[in-house]
Amino acid sequence: MTNETFHTLGIDVGSSYIKLALVRYGEPHQVIEVINEKIRKRNPTHVIDRLVDELLERHRLRYEDIMYVASTGEGELVSRKRGHFYSMTTHARGAWHFHPQIRAVVDLGALFNRVISLDSGARVSNYTMTGQCASGTGQFLENISRYLGLTLEEVGPLSLQSKNPAVTSGICAVLAETDVINMVSQGIPTPDIIKGIHLSIARRIVRLMRKIKIESPVALTGGMAQDIGLTEAMREMLAEADMKLEVFAATQPEAAGAIGAAIWGGYRHCKLLEAAA
Amino acid sequence: MPSRFAESRSRISDLTLDEAFQTAKKLFEDLSFGYATDWKSEQQNRRIVGFLPIYVPREILHALDMLPVGLFGAGDKIPVVRGDAYFQSYICHLPRTVIEMALNDSLKDFDAFLFPAICDVIRNLSGIFQLTYKDKLVRFLDFPQNFQSAVGGVFYRHELERLAADLGALNGKSLSTDALNHSIGLYNQNRALLKDLSNFRSSYPHKLSAADHYLILRAGQVMTVEHHNAYVERILELLPSVEAIEADKIRVVVSGSFCEQPPLGLIRTVENAGCYIVDDDFQLGLKWTEGDIPDKTEDPVGALVNAYLNNSTFSSAVYDGDNPKEISLERQVREHRADGVIFCAPSFCDPALLDRPILEKAMERKHIRHIGFQYHENLGQFHVVKEQAGTFADMIKLWD
Repeated sequence: MTNETFHTLGIDVGSSYIKLALVRYGEPHQVIEVINEKIRKRNPTHVIDRLVDELLERHRLRYEDIMYVASTGEGELVSRKRGHFYSMTTHARGAWHFHPQIRAVVDLGALFNRVISLDSGARVSNYTMTGQCASGTGQFLENISRYLGLTLEEVGPLSLQSKNPAVTSGICAVLAETDVINMVSQGIPTPDIIKGIHLSIARRIVRLMRKIKIESPVALTGGMAQDIGLTEAMREMLAEADMKLEVFAATQPEAAGAIGAAIWGGYRHCKLLEAAA
Repeated sequence: MPSRFAESRSRISDLTLDEAFQTAKKLFEDLSFGYATDWKSEQQNRRIVGFLPIYVPREILHALDMLPVGLFGAGDKIPVVRGDAYFQSYICHLPRTVIEMALNDSLKDFDAFLFPAICDVIRNLSGIFQLTYKDKLVRFLDFPQNFQSAVGGVFYRHELERLAADLGALNGKSLSTDALNHSIGLYNQNRALLKDLSNFRSSYPHKLSAADHYLILRAGQVMTVEHHNAYVERILELLPSVEAIEADKIRVVVSGSFCEQPPLGLIRTVENAGCYIVDDDFQLGLKWTEGDIPDKTEDPVGALVNAYLNNSTFSSAVYDGDNPKEISLERQVREHRADGVIFCAPSFCDPALLDRPILEKAMERKHIRHIGFQYHENLGQFHVVKEQAGTFADMIKLWD
């Protein structure tokens, strides 16, 4: 592998957010800047092109200066790139970059949750993911917080204040949303409603974590990993299920995919150089 | 009044690449086979002959002034309403849409149907067609399983001569040596052009997508051979000037999709997930014979027989004990510098799925990476395929 340092860029296209990570590749790899932009109702390809141009301009870089632009997630929406890596590969690497002691990653995305088991070199050894049901995903949590008139940032701290969590449907997002409307009309305190929702989501994630063999410690990535209320609810649910796993939110969890893509891009660039030599 | 598809035959030399792809897409989507019916209506003696996968000797049909049209089902383009009543749930999907097309009159202008011997389902389908179309020629076309010319060769010659006589009775033509030699020459040219196209695709997969390549080939299952030759020639002229940057993807051979065709979305998904498909068996019948067949001979039927016995490609639908398929697949991987194999077969495809363990073991012996999944022609959700192909690509790119 080369001893030189060079720039790489990871672009993670999710269903709600686009994440970019500019990395200086070389031991140790350095995450220079991370961007997290909500797509709203815009054309994702145009948003990505604009974000890339602005990022390069801020760092006085040309596109040619980036040795490897790697997409992950919905990569076909990225018009300029050199390669694509799959989400679990990149989330595992992104989390491992900050926490090399981890042996599993739980990616809590807007539409899917993934449980990824990895070896000591950030190589994915097994994984499982949710099906198409919306309950238990970031989009679901975002909808609930909107109904309650809360920002996503307010949700976690409120959940920690709960004294008597409400019981919600753990099965279906549609039923759970109806539950929330009923709870509001019954005058149940907001922290208890939020905590009930968190426990319901956490129960589903823990069920997913039982599907494959994973070891501790476990890093949480994805947008929902920033929600301290959900992390706490997961710890409670793991204890209830008698699963002795340490879980914590990875550093910059929402950008783990983009960071991982940038780092794997650098690794791949070196590998291609070696093969060509 | 000019026919709907006549224009596509008249202005080949002016075609742009986009127009060429659009032509192929229109033909692919046209389940009323307008091109074939237009062609037939231009001259009284012309006949349309539909054939099921994989291979029929189209040279004989062409020499008798007939248009061979490949019947590859209808994908997800029609709902199966009555087709399901003919086949059990553990049978593949292709015959259901073929039956559906027969029952909704999409095939009413066809004069004959050929069912090559590749599996029991196609054999049964030929029986259903015999009952459905009592006024049309429906033929189960048997191929030799013995590749010695004194045994299989004699049998196959008899099959071909019988076929030519029965088809000729439809328009009063008989098979002439000159006409058959001429047809063999045209199909030789077609295979050579498609080989050039395949080589281009293998060398520059970023300049021609697997889906577009597939559509160009698929057009050859309905166009006249003269038209398809000119069409592919024009595309080959245009392709080198395509400007595209090669992405960092792995190179894969796709194996097992020779009969029921994968949806276009599946082909695109595999490629978008990081795998350039550098060779495949999607339209295997078009390249069944490897190399040229003699086209200036006194015995052109004999030339077709010899080509089948000695120059056929390999397929799960053919048992050839002297030429193990795993060796052919391994050669295919090597020739196309592929990083791995994707075994991609239709659900319930007996030939492909029975061969798969043998082929997989052989790939493992040679340390060739592989994955496998199944599809049906009307598959609409590609998430699982994307995930499998994507992780396969990551594994090879990062950890091999």
